[in-house]
Amino acid sequence: MTMFLVRRLLGLVPVLAVAIVLTFAALQSLPGDPVAVMLSDHSADVELAARLRAEYGLDQPMWRQFLTYVTHVVEGDFGLSFRFVHTPVIEVLADGLKVSPLLALAALAIAFPLGAFAGSYAAIHRNRWPDTAVILFLVAGISIPNFALATFLVYVLSIKLGVLPVAGWGSFDRAVLPVLILAIPCAAYLARLARALMLEVLQQDYVRTARAKGMSERVVVWRHAFRNILVPLLTQTGVIFGGLLSTTFVVETIFNIPGLGRLAIQSIFARDYPVAMAIILLFTLFYALINLTVDLLCAAIDPRLRAEGAGRP
Amino acid sequence: MAFRVLRRAATLAIPVALVIWSPANAKTLRVNINADPSQIDPLTYSELNSYQVLEQVYEGFTSITPDGRALPALAVSWAPLSSGYGFRFNLREGVKFHSGRLFSAKDVKYTFEQLLKPGGQGGLSAQFLGNVIGAADLKAGRATDLAGVKIVDEHTIEVSFTKPDVLFPIYEFFFMDSGIVAELGADWMTKSDAGTGPFTFKQWKRGVEVDLAANPGYWGGAPKVDGVQFLIIPTGDTALSQYDAGELDLVNLPENSFRRALSNPAYQSQTIKVPKAQVRYMGMNQNLYAPFKDKRVREAISLSLDRDAMIKGLYNGAAFPLNGQTVPGIPGYNPDIPALKYDPERAKALLAEAGFAGGKGMPPVEIQCTEPFRDEITYYANQLGKVLGMQVIPKVVERATFIKSMNAGEVAFFPWSWTADYPDAMTFLGEMWLSKSPFNRPRWSNAAFDKLIDQASTEPDDAKRFALYRQAEKILMDDWATAPLPATSNIALRKPNVKNVTVTPFGYSVFQDALIQ
Amino acid sequence: MTNPPLAALAFAPSDPGRFRRRFVRDPKACAGAAIVLLLVAIAILAPALAPHPYDDTDLLGAWAPPSWAHWVGTDKLGRDILSRLLFGARTSLVVSVSVLGITLTVGITLGMLAGYLGGWVDSAVSRLVDIMFAFPDVVFAILVTAVLGPSMLTVIAALSMVWWPGIARLTRALVLVQRNEMFVEAAIVCGTPVGRILMRHILPNIVPPLIVRASIGIGFIIMAEATLSLLGLGVQEPQPSWGSMIRDGLEALRTDPYLALSGSAMLAVTIIGFNLLGDGLRDLLDPKLQVR
Repeated sequence: MTMFLVRRLLGLVPVLAVAIVLTFAALQSLPGDPVAVMLSDHSADVELAARLRAEYGLDQPMWRQFLTYVTHVVEGDFGLSFRFVHTPVIEVLADGLKVSPLLALAALAIAFPLGAFAGSYAAIHRNRWPDTAVILFLVAGISIPNFALATFLVYVLSIKLGVLPVAGWGSFDRAVLPVLILAIPCAAYLARLARALMLEVLQQDYVRTARAKGMSERVVVWRHAFRNILVPLLTQTGVIFGGLLSTTFVVETIFNIPGLGRLAIQSIFARDYPVAMAIILLFTLFYALINLTVDLLCAAIDPRLRAEGAGRP
Repeated sequence: MAFRVLRRAATLAIPVALVIWSPANAKTLRVNINADPSQIDPLTYSELNSYQVLEQVYEGFTSITPDGRALPALAVSWAPLSSGYGFRFNLREGVKFHSGRLFSAKDVKYTFEQLLKPGGQGGLSAQFLGNVIGAADLKAGRATDLAGVKIVDEHTIEVSFTKPDVLFPIYEFFFMDSGIVAELGADWMTKSDAGTGPFTFKQWKRGVEVDLAANPGYWGGAPKVDGVQFLIIPTGDTALSQYDAGELDLVNLPENSFRRALSNPAYQSQTIKVPKAQVRYMGMNQNLYAPFKDKRVREAISLSLDRDAMIKGLYNGAAFPLNGQTVPGIPGYNPDIPALKYDPERAKALLAEAGFAGGKGMPPVEIQCTEPFRDEITYYANQLGKVLGMQVIPKVVERATFIKSMNAGEVAFFPWSWTADYPDAMTFLGEMWLSKSPFNRPRWSNAAFDKLIDQASTEPDDAKRFALYRQAEKILMDDWATAPLPATSNIALRKPNVKNVTVTPFGYSVFQDALIQ
Repeated sequence: MTNPPLAALAFAPSDPGRFRRRFVRDPKACAGAAIVLLLVAIAILAPALAPHPYDDTDLLGAWAPPSWAHWVGTDKLGRDILSRLLFGARTSLVVSVSVLGITLTVGITLGMLAGYLGGWVDSAVSRLVDIMFAFPDVVFAILVTAVLGPSMLTVIAALSMVWWPGIARLTRALVLVQRNEMFVEAAIVCGTPVGRILMRHILPNIVPPLIVRASIGIGFIIMAEATLSLLGLGVQEPQPSWGSMIRDGLEALRTDPYLALSGSAMLAVTIIGFNLLGDGLRDLLDPKLQVR
């Protein structure tokens, strides 16, 4: 088991290395000059441009810029932001770091129980109307893009009914819509999975045995069957959580939430490379760690998966 | 007995305390800005959001009234120097920086030197010092002292130029405390500010807000509000919703939100509509697209644009037609320029005359601009195609790249604008259309025009100078150098209980006298 | 995605007639197919169906509510929303078909080579796929479109780069199972060249799950294209895309909701259609998965 862990951790290194190189190359290839962005309306000032270029090390050859960057990152120094003069990247990120994970976790906290119960319920009442209702919810939840959902919900709840505020962040009622919109697709995925797992589990011998022993259906289902689907469900949750991070980009932009997703997009548009790099690297690292955790959990449960070359399908 | 007295006192004290402590007394003016300022450093600022914040905290020689006149601020009076070009300024006495130190001539010289010295990032203000004697030396590092600025005494300072610069007193400067770096270090701007203005810097939560607190010791009288809170809200729709919800006292609206604000009768009494001190024009670079060389083609393009429809349809009436390159509200404006008509028939005829009937023979051309103008260029592309048969392709470009290529004269066809830097039409005619100006982005040039403008830049008498402006503007428009575009207004909404606040034509507000009832 | 036992995936429906009958009896699959067919028809016939040119501006008639002249109203520049919705279907379809074409070609080829040949080919491809998987896909797509400059081609390129690893991985897994089958061993013994084995023998057997994957994938590709357009990185003016229409519409949601609501509805229904079809196909083609 430890060997497995070590092997997988080592496997992370080339992934991160490639991520850094790719991101660096991509950002450098963005059309547009960060110095021009810094100068904004005064790009006619050639001397100032030259000074800025030297100050930020942008006049160095590409490979040297890359090496400088990597050596600094390893020490935890992500450099200075291009957009916010004299401000370290870490400080720019600090506020966003408090917001985005909270948003994602809140969504997951709602999605998991909702999905698990809805899916199980559908499986139990298979082919009757609760099943159909849940399946419809499933398909809609997975298919409707979060911004489309946001459009409908904002229109109905905020504009027409005036029940919830339109955007922003800070108070509980502001958080309701964005968290809901993030949670619904997750819940749908989890419900689909829960339903399939539950159906499989309900066919198992031990369930039949329990029934034969005379236990009530409710005990059979919820005490035995449901428990057994929780673990596989949890392992998939890791993957879904990673996907959640991607969808926060759009939700944060629409709802004007000061999180990392919105900051990343703004930074790319504003050619603020250091901030964009830092966020992308953070996301990649986080994503990779989640995948690793999921694999570990899977391997811990099912020793067959520890063999070389096996992975998630 | 004592107990009864105490109880009586307590029951009286509570309502008294409530009156003193009630939220009604803690009044902060809440305003929106559409993005984080890139910094709040008086030396390097160069965009409107920074300006809006800095304007409350710092001051220069003069301040500008909402109708564009200059008033004495930190300079009580000034007069031209008798020998050579330049001005002598008499500075206001008894003004204190927020740090407690007294403002004096040495701070003026310090600010100027900081703006020019190599290694700094002198922003907008630095270019106003271009004509000061010794500026070039200081910038190049050949000197450490700005030779053309002489401190006569604590409250008198002389600034000398290499050539006449009659508008110097109304240029915008932000004088800073020369002792701030010694006191707080190089990153002083994250902790405090170095200004003399009615508000002081309190904190900046990136992506969320910038907070200012009132300066009770301000020389012009303590502000009547406790502070100003700039909430960072990127979209107009959200800002307007927060205004509705009572979370903003004043909301500045971007063009996208005009419709929602102007079509709702509930907002009527709360609307502030002020024409922008901004000229808008269509850049047609003759060097990059051959058909633009012909005056008739340029005129045809101008006549093909339905400006009335634009004002009503795109801007909901919050715009006004521009017939030349000066705007009302900025001294030097010429109201007598003939109005531009929408005349598609004449436009087609002109194009045919020029040899491009129906757009034949004209290669496809891209019309470029930044994201906020996406709808506008889509309209132009479609309209020019419908009326003239031209093949115009709208292309949205990232802002900094766009400005850089415009400045380099590399963009063939584009709408753009220029906001006045100071209240005089020279800021438009000179900075935009003089051939040698780096900001003459369409690269139009005319010797007669240049001569008139050069003459005007040395003419201290307003009336004479404005007459020269008129002649120059006539040359500009007769040559169809550009197709003027409708100039938009600043639209803001202000809550009924907010008084003494308006928006200047320059796009920012001054909160010195703001009052929340 | 559930983890079906892979062996069960590798087979082909032996009886097309039975397949058709079961398909018709499944309401989900039928509904999905109907929506998809409708969408394809709209996309192909858009020029004929659209009442107005999609780029015709009319500033004085901007933000008009629905009327006989404009069934869904007009947008900010006075353009007919219905016509733009119809042409937006074209954009979505062109992008998704292109992306699918590219990813299937690249993904299946690499997956087959990796699964069949094994060894260093397998290691190389698997490593590449792992690295691609580690990168958050939205971030990657945004970066690619930002680097190449927004346009339909860049969107297709970016989404193809994000999607092919999934296809490759699935193909590889399927081929690994097939490789151990008797008929493959027989073919090898007969001296059949590798290419022939792959194309003639293995490929037909792995097609059904790939079809399922593809039909579900289209739904997500359409969603991804709309997301990129929503962020401003997709097709540019004046080409309509549902994503950018929603973006324009969101700004005016309070006063003129028709643009955002109609765009969102079209997008939602389209993706639901493709997902229903995909789910239906999967239920029909994989008896082991039949959880009826």
